[in-house]
Amino acid sequence: MSSVWRAARAAVRRRRMQTFVIGLVVLLSTTTIVVALALLAATSAPFDKAFARQAGPHAVALFDPAASPPSQGPGVAAAAGPFGQVELESTDSVRFGPQGPLTVVGRADPGGPVDKLDLWQGRWPSAPGEIVLNEPVHDLDRMPPRSTSVTLGGHPFTIVGLAHSLVGSADAWVTPAQVAALRPTATQMLYRFTGDVSTEAAVEASLATATAGLPLTASQTYLVVKEQISADVGVYVPFLATFGVLGLVVGVVIVGNVVSGAVVSGYRHIGILKALGFTPRQVVAVYLMMVSVPAVVGCVLGSVAGSLAAQPLLSEGFEGLGLDVGIGVGPWIWLAGLVGVPATVVLAALVPAVRAHRLSAAEAISAGSAPRQGRGTRIQHRLAGVRLPRSVSLGLGLPFARPGRTAFTVAAVLLGVTTVTFATGLADTLVRISTIEDTAAGQIGVQPSNGLFRVAPDNAPPPAGPPATTTRTDEQVEELLRGLPDAARVTAIHRLPVSAVGQTEPLPVNFLRGDYSAMGYEAELTAGRWMAGPAETVVPTEVMRGRGLALGDRITLRLGGGQAVLTVVGETMDGPQGPPALFVDWSVLATMAPDRVVAPWDVYYQVQLVPGGDIARYVTAVTAADPAIDAWNNAQLSDFLVTVVSFSSVLSLLLSTVAALGVFNTVVLNVRERRRDLGTLKSIGMTPRQVVAMVLTSMALVGVVGGVLGIPVGMLAHRFVVPLAAESARVSLPLSVMDVWHAPTLALLGLAGVVIALLGALVPARGAARLTIASVLHNE
Amino acid sequence: MTTVVRLENVRKEYGDTTALDGVSLSVSAGEAVAVMGPSGCGKSTMLNMIAGLDRPTSGSVRVHDEELGRLNETKLALFRRHRIGMIFQFFNLLDDLPALDNVALAAQLTGSRVGVARQRALELLDELGIADRRNVYPAALSGGERQRVAVARALMNRPALLLADEPTGALDSRAGEQVMDLLLDLNQIGQTLLIVTHDERLATRCASRVVELADGRVTHERTLERA
Ligand SMILES: Nc1ncnc2c1ncn2[C@@H]1O[C@H](COP(=O)(O)OP(=O)(O)OP(=O)(O)O)[C@@H](O)[C@H]1O
Ligand SMILES: [Mg+2]
Repeated sequence: MSSVWRAARAAVRRRRMQTFVIGLVVLLSTTTIVVALALLAATSAPFDKAFARQAGPHAVALFDPAASPPSQGPGVAAAAGPFGQVELESTDSVRFGPQGPLTVVGRADPGGPVDKLDLWQGRWPSAPGEIVLNEPVHDLDRMPPRSTSVTLGGHPFTIVGLAHSLVGSADAWVTPAQVAALRPTATQMLYRFTGDVSTEAAVEASLATATAGLPLTASQTYLVVKEQISADVGVYVPFLATFGVLGLVVGVVIVGNVVSGAVVSGYRHIGILKALGFTPRQVVAVYLMMVSVPAVVGCVLGSVAGSLAAQPLLSEGFEGLGLDVGIGVGPWIWLAGLVGVPATVVLAALVPAVRAHRLSAAEAISAGSAPRQGRGTRIQHRLAGVRLPRSVSLGLGLPFARPGRTAFTVAAVLLGVTTVTFATGLADTLVRISTIEDTAAGQIGVQPSNGLFRVAPDNAPPPAGPPATTTRTDEQVEELLRGLPDAARVTAIHRLPVSAVGQTEPLPVNFLRGDYSAMGYEAELTAGRWMAGPAETVVPTEVMRGRGLALGDRITLRLGGGQAVLTVVGETMDGPQGPPALFVDWSVLATMAPDRVVAPWDVYYQVQLVPGGDIARYVTAVTAADPAIDAWNNAQLSDFLVTVVSFSSVLSLLLSTVAALGVFNTVVLNVRERRRDLGTLKSIGMTPRQVVAMVLTSMALVGVVGGVLGIPVGMLAHRFVVPLAAESARVSLPLSVMDVWHAPTLALLGLAGVVIALLGALVPARGAARLTIASVLHNE
Repeated sequence: MTTVVRLENVRKEYGDTTALDGVSLSVSAGEAVAVMGPSGCGKSTMLNMIAGLDRPTSGSVRVHDEELGRLNETKLALFRRHRIGMIFQFFNLLDDLPALDNVALAAQLTGSRVGVARQRALELLDELGIADRRNVYPAALSGGERQRVAVARALMNRPALLLADEPTGALDSRAGEQVMDLLLDLNQIGQTLLIVTHDERLATRCASRVVELADGRVTHERTLERA
């Protein structure tokens, strides 16, 4: 065995370049694979994982405060409680932080058999007057500093920590003694069941059995939360899965190509080893060892790099959904990186090594240089007669000498281009969506105060001072907004649930007044047309589907004794800020309920400025004119956009680099195999520049083919994946946002393949140009 | 007579090995010089210096009034292209091109059009008596035929100096003789020749002067009377 080891060590030393390339390729591929697997893992049942981790309750049950509910019973796997629970109204003057009535629960500690809270900030309350709020993990540094105390139901509390309950078993927690002092209104029990928990009915049945007829005042199953979170995550799934699969395939293709290439190019060396008396087995061992050394180093470093790269991407994407606990680079991903990649390496090495095993020493020696006969030869012959600079025509023929290797290289470039194309299209679509939404929802939001709440724009400190009530009426506020400099369009929006004939629950309606038709909502239309008069309505997709509406339907709204019949003439992707609601003209409200007075603080005003208008100045002008009116800049990049675009940029960069490395490796091998030919060509006067031109041409061809094939694949992926994501988000998309492929974009993408190929080929091409002919010819 | 090659005190070291240890030599136009000596004495190294395939560690190499040390890689390539024809022991033909294209290649690199280059290549192959083998790939040619194709390629750009490194070393005696005759003919029509060889017969037959090398030094020179 020691001779094997010595031969392997010598081989590694003699091929520093190749060893380095294998190491680097394995490193980057492992990085890509780990990121890809982490993405795929994140997309598969993230809720279930986080839920299992928290030992989340299948049911949260509320009983009379005097009751003593069972913590054991038939079908109960585990239970936590009883905990005292009380509803407290938030009376803070700033609409920032907890809102409305909060469910406060007394718990002695965040752990326990069920609903193990993730106490991610501060500590658990230990004394009266201390409180922990329920919030998903997020980056506090990116939030504006906020108060360390809250007033709930008139009692001041110090916020001593932040914890997260996936199912939201409470909004805040205090000590049991504290909750007792607050006189609890209910007793909370948290149950996990052994039986079937897949449906609402099954969970409720288990709960009924467990509590044995003890009267429940309320209960909630985990399925409600699950449904909602799955829908939120669902938007990311198609994107992440696409990138994940692409990354995985590219990683495996490249590693396979590089490793098997190393063995194939070593055939001559194998022949010599055999001639020296190495047994076939020993030869295979030498080669496995030779590729394993750099591969192991590469995959260890790559696994580390991959998990480092995946972590911020994942927490960026899933932060705020409260799923971060269940997401990350789990042990099986490490296993895949550290075992799967080396296994791929060994397999890729084994196939050609075993072939070498069967070759006789003489055959192996002659197989070591580029193949001598076959298709490649015929193509070179054809090209010899083509009217191109000879270095170019020679270069064009090179890829055909090693069709297998060339095919893999094309595949790598193809997948690189596919990724770049998909990412580009995706970013473009998202930017278009965001632009349409921003145009329609922007630029300035205005909300008069009722003396209780103030609105603070995102990422800005809350307005100082006690809130005042505006003295202006709704119409006067609108007049004020129109009168300020630079105002171009003003829309007043009053949101109201309105009963409709045939609907069991009221329909959400936005009554709109002013310039709403000109604000840009029309661009969000995904079907039908915009409203032509007050008898028509446009409905967001989510409401359409949720309420079983269709284009052409007639809806009868009922309000305050009056009624109005509207025709659905259009469907939109979205609407003004807030939950999706029907677009209805304000005059309909006036017709149905003529006596109804709408308070200004129940109206949200949206202002758009003339082109070039200064938003900040307008916002200041509003507050200056009436300190009781809050105004803020509405334009903001959506987190979703940022997340997905950063995913796609990182993946595009990684995959392009890996593809370029694949090209690099191919060129290194081609040059090594053809160094005698290169020496000959140089000896008859081929200049360094001609050598570079020849080598670059050979790979440019690979780049062009990869690009030409990769672009349509990327376009197809975009075509299928984007609507899939929209489906999960329950929106439909306007055609315009899918229409992202235009000649300049396509031309640039077409270049992507060539750029990847040329970048990969440049260094070894220059190396080839610098080869000292004398030593090449001396050594052959 | 004009001097085609002038080596002055050329040294070449490869790490610890001294391949050439202060060689001086000049070759005049129309001469045929044979370089002889034991294996490893530096013959090929010297030839490579003259062809600009490698650079000396010290000393000066002038070929046709070009000081090779002053030329950059591109200029050296152009120099080889236009001034030098090289013949190797193992032919060094491109295996994926047929004989004709191997020869034409030398002219095509200079920018000649395919048609023109092939025409001249065909003429050369014809002169060397292997025009009928023009579409055969090197793998299917005999050793002698391969070497004649290599000679044709070397002559393609009408070089002032033809360098041959053991041109008959890989050939049987009959094929070797043919190549020898060919070189002799070329010299007789004025081609300057520098031939590295082990083969005393080749030297006496083709060369007008023999330079003996040992351990990287010129140890002996003699002028021959040719038949
Ligand atoms: N590229 C190179 N790298 C390292 N050493 C070299 C190189 N080329 C030649 N040498 C060494 O320089 C010395 C002279 O070599 P050279 O090839 O010139 O000998 P030669 O006279 O042509 O021998 P032969 O008759 O065997 O061809 C030898 O010791 C050889 O090992
Ligand atoms: Mg030699």
